[in-house]
Amino acid sequence: MMGTDDVPNTPNPHAGLGWQDDDTLLAALAAALRPGVDLIDEVSAQGRGVYAWRTVDDDLLLAQLSFDSREHGMAGTRSAEMAPARADVDDEAPRVMVFETTPMTVELEVQADRVVGQIVPPGPGQVSVETATVTMQVEADENGFFVLPPLPSEAIRLRCDTETSRIRTGWFRL
Amino acid sequence: MDDIPIAELVAAAAAGDEAAWDEIVSRYSPLLAGVIGGYRLSPAVRQDIAQIVWLRLVEKLDTLRDPQCLPGWLVTTARHEALRQIEQQSRVQSRDPLDAYWVDQGDVVVTLPTTEPPDARLLRQERHEALLSALAELPAHQRQLLQLLIADPPLSYATIASRLGISIGNIGPTRARALDRLRQSSALQALLEGPFEPAKGWGK
Repeated sequence: MMGTDDVPNTPNPHAGLGWQDDDTLLAALAAALRPGVDLIDEVSAQGRGVYAWRTVDDDLLLAQLSFDSREHGMAGTRSAEMAPARADVDDEAPRVMVFETTPMTVELEVQADRVVGQIVPPGPGQVSVETATVTMQVEADENGFFVLPPLPSEAIRLRCDTETSRIRTGWFRL
Repeated sequence: MDDIPIAELVAAAAAGDEAAWDEIVSRYSPLLAGVIGGYRLSPAVRQDIAQIVWLRLVEKLDTLRDPQCLPGWLVTTARHEALRQIEQQSRVQSRDPLDAYWVDQGDVVVTLPTTEPPDARLLRQERHEALLSALAELPAHQRQLLQLLIADPPLSYATIASRLGISIGNIGPTRARALDRLRQSSALQALLEGPFEPAKGWGK
């Protein structure tokens, strides 16, 4: 019961809804289900379809998204109220994303007609792009530089295999 | 599979049991659908969001420290994706960040116009999510019965009974037990009896 005294005595705004009554509770549940009721079957089918993508390879290191220019861009948009000209520039700039793990970093620059990438430390390797339905692979040159075609809007992840390490990114959408 | 605690299902799914994963999906699809359905998004975008949330959950199975947090994680992840999508498309469509509403065109997103005050909307959303999380705590036969009972247009008891393979006489008692269980769920207990923390979890 420690600290109970410190909790301000705010009345619970969900009190007094009459959910002791079966019909009232069922009506509340119906209202909660309504916005998504037509989606349930589809959402559930999506869910059943993705289990095959479980990663069972323990040696494949997960690289986390450590920088995304669009997240910064979003914050920048608010200041655009005062400087609309700059917002235009921001919108045209390519999106830059950085995925990081201890032995390796992958940088992506999303351009209008392609995606260019760089493996750091620089070196040759194979880069794969996976969606839930297809996988495509390109080679990174001796400088760790690679080029991908425009990527789909659905969930994707990258996998990079070099002589020294093997990493994958988490799922993301462009 | 019907009444296994979520923590066991998560552990089994992480260990390769696909039936356990399917059960997790069945339990939480109404919640995920409810969050995604709360935003007016194109069907293609809705599918993309549902897919990425599930994909991330599959990856997270091994490291989900407290499976009790699963509903909250689903809600937060789906909402973040939906809001990111809305923000992104609003930037494409309109340069004016003060525009409250955007035109619905094909793949473009619209915020739901509403006259409801923001506080009331958040409380309603919080209630809806608690109810759908509570639904996930029910055994499958109770969950399915409640879903059939509130189908729109309504289904006859005969139809419901035949879909579930139970007798009509069983519907009333099962309905009462399911609603009792809903009240006793940890999700509703937390909503109704937990210490109220204003705006908790609504930072994003």
